[in-house]
Amino acid sequence: MSVSVAWPHHLTDQLASLVGPEHLRIDSETALTISPANTAQVSGILAFAHEHRLSVCPHGAGTKQTWGQGKTPSIFLSLARLNRVIEHPWQDLTCTVQAGCNWAALQQTLAAHGQFVALDPLFEDRATVGGVVSANDSGALRHRYGSLRDLVIGMTLVLADGTIARAGGKVVKNVAGYDLCKLMTGSLGTLAIITEVNFRLHSLPRHTRHFTVAAPKASLLAGLVASIRASHLLTQSLQLRSSASGCFLGIRLNAHPQAEQEEILAQMTRAENLELAECGEELWGTRDSLFAPEATVLRISTPPDQVCAFVDELQLSYTDLEVHTIAQAFGLCDVALHGAPEIITDAIRRLRADADTTVAVLQLGPGVEAPAFEIAAPVLSLMQAVKHKFDPESLLGPGKFFREA
Amino acid sequence: MPSSLTPAVLAELQRIVGDRGLITAVNQLQTYECDGLTAFRVLPSAVLLPESTGQVQQILRLCHRERIPFVARGSGTGLSGGALPTEGCLVITFSRMNRILAVDLANQQITVQPGVINSNVTAAVSPHGYFYAPDPSSQTVCTIGGNIAENAGGAHCLKYGFTVTHVLEMTVVLPNGDLVTLGAKTPNAPGYDLAGVFIGSEGTLGIATEMTLRIMRKPETVQVILAAFNTIQAAAQSVSDVIASGQLPAAMEIMDRLSIEAAEISVHPNYPSCEALLLIELDGPEAEVNLQMQTVTDICRGNGAWETRLAIDEQDRFLIWKGRKAAFAAAGRLSPNYIVQDGVIPRTSLPAVLEKLNAMAVAENLRVTNVFHAGDGNLHPIVLYNRENPGEEERAIDLSLRILDVCVEAGGSITGEHGVGREKQCSMSYMFSDPDLETMQRVRHAFDPLDLSNPEKLFPTPRICGERSRGAYAPHPLETSGIAEVF
Repeated sequence: MSVSVAWPHHLTDQLASLVGPEHLRIDSETALTISPANTAQVSGILAFAHEHRLSVCPHGAGTKQTWGQGKTPSIFLSLARLNRVIEHPWQDLTCTVQAGCNWAALQQTLAAHGQFVALDPLFEDRATVGGVVSANDSGALRHRYGSLRDLVIGMTLVLADGTIARAGGKVVKNVAGYDLCKLMTGSLGTLAIITEVNFRLHSLPRHTRHFTVAAPKASLLAGLVASIRASHLLTQSLQLRSSASGCFLGIRLNAHPQAEQEEILAQMTRAENLELAECGEELWGTRDSLFAPEATVLRISTPPDQVCAFVDELQLSYTDLEVHTIAQAFGLCDVALHGAPEIITDAIRRLRADADTTVAVLQLGPGVEAPAFEIAAPVLSLMQAVKHKFDPESLLGPGKFFREA
Repeated sequence: MPSSLTPAVLAELQRIVGDRGLITAVNQLQTYECDGLTAFRVLPSAVLLPESTGQVQQILRLCHRERIPFVARGSGTGLSGGALPTEGCLVITFSRMNRILAVDLANQQITVQPGVINSNVTAAVSPHGYFYAPDPSSQTVCTIGGNIAENAGGAHCLKYGFTVTHVLEMTVVLPNGDLVTLGAKTPNAPGYDLAGVFIGSEGTLGIATEMTLRIMRKPETVQVILAAFNTIQAAAQSVSDVIASGQLPAAMEIMDRLSIEAAEISVHPNYPSCEALLLIELDGPEAEVNLQMQTVTDICRGNGAWETRLAIDEQDRFLIWKGRKAAFAAAGRLSPNYIVQDGVIPRTSLPAVLEKLNAMAVAENLRVTNVFHAGDGNLHPIVLYNRENPGEEERAIDLSLRILDVCVEAGGSITGEHGVGREKQCSMSYMFSDPDLETMQRVRHAFDPLDLSNPEKLFPTPRICGERSRGAYAPHPLETSGIAEVF
């Protein structure tokens, strides 16, 4: 292993001594990856980085590393070796897991007792627990179970100066002190590095049936979506897929067969002059496909009652672009755009001009220019004040959220 | 005038809120000297009743300029001293900001002011078939602003979550008078989830002056079952078995013999006379609830329930819940004085922890009765004592705090829903290490560098914890009059 000019021996030697030389990899003249074995080693690395003013990004599987559009740090701190499910007291419906644990592996462990973390993030086969929580990812299950802020009950954190702190706890109900877990969820590794997460769990649903309703335009499905949302159906997910070739509404029901809810759903569908078809589970695993390497991918929030109209507007107003949308009826749309970069750049600007919608840019296609987030000025300065208290030197996740960092 | 405020400051406050919005007379200030934790009393310098967000902003700007601490207050039903005034502070109360501003059924949202009473939110949307889920037992008197400060729960948070799950967006006046919007009416507000930290921060990060809440479709059917057991352990086992069977009831509550007897004397719910009573509420589509109720009944019988009683109609359910909710106020029938605690433990430690608590009570020669939200492991042990017996109050206080220690040792928490406030701030250092608390302080100082917003609460301080004076529980006037009960 050759050490570059940018990495003086004394620095890499000291870092290597914290984790063992085989767990340090020089990536380039200015970047290296280090893989600690435990929270104490994470603390040692951050204390060292703090002392030497080196920037650090936590790294899981790298599936969402570009979210937030940060700069390349001096150190990628890989959590790959913190990959264990520490405990699963299944009768308490909770678990404690290390941040580097693969999401699918966690779910497989929990499934042994018929339980799961009720969340279906992107890239489940590769993503890690820490990455999913840091990015506050969510999918179709959010309709029924809420987002990570309703599922994370505790954490172990390492702050920028190496301080190890615990937040929350291991019980579902707990109002002692500030809920720092909420602050960390979605902070993209800019406030602290998460090394362990405690989740509240749910029982895997016993009776799940999948249905689909097709229509040429989303607006033709709006009446059905509204009546399902206002109904007593035990709907697990309500997801709309739209592209130039048409729209499909996916409906997942969790009711016991004897409750005969599919019959109620069929009647509601007929009332809208639409046709209900039972389908397989494969319909739901498609959000990953939006992230083709050339695609620009947006996550757009809209009021729930405008989702269908918004999905149509995306197809009709941006005719020079190829638009694929997977929208959740509660008001969150993942949108992949393909086309000329300047047209996409302009489209994002136009979408952001609408006060009813909020646009996060998850992935930038080549040549496309747009900031990851737009945050209103008064609350942005409060967020900067929080950032400054946690990381005064701006060493964690440099450039994410706050561009001047 | 007891006020440490200068005449100039008072005149300025009067200009902001008008004559009717400023209270300085001592006899009127006394109304605000404590909340539900009546053992602690401090007279505020003045009480303000603003009518708008703009007025709150002007008040806080003045406080910031003059370095005057302030304490926001709703109805004062809090049980941990969260609204207890601080020496020389202003109390800002919201009885004149109590309007419902907008109802948006299509998006299942409602926008209200902080002084709106919790149950009035449900009342506003109930005709349309919706409800507001968080239901602290004081819901007929407590305010949404106070619920947000405390992240209020209730019997039904097992299924529906806490206040934080149901607040989408808030207008917040920061301690320097700046105005920010935290959260959003649409999912995923960009940036840090400051709304998530603000809710439950017990008034230490600023004041919310407008909030948009999530409302939910009322369930099609609600059913409650009462099951009588010979031991608490058998009731607790049934709770674990129900969870393990994959059901998520709306509520699961356990009462022990003493509590059952007290409830019976006070509101006659006609409970079976037994060692442990388990109350389970299921809600949802009718066919689904019928099926689940069969499973739940079988589980209870399998664990030795010798009587199961199903309540389907509203009148029966009302009586059952009335008995449950009266259990604490009814403790006054068992003993002249009592202390209520609010610990949380992992559900599976329930039998072991209860055994330990019993042994501790016997060793102290004090009676402890238990009523708890068994579904989420939230215990409310009630330590019974008589203040007239020399030394008994001190022993009761000591026992109640040692009960919290046992909860922490079992992997739980010192508070599930009542908050830390003044009552439990010294127990925080038993649950959290210094670095944990210092990390919370970083948030505090980002919002409130001058420590003006509800100071000397929530965090342990040498001044308060050095004195070791935590005081005794005394029932709130609302509680003794039967308007509200302690859950």
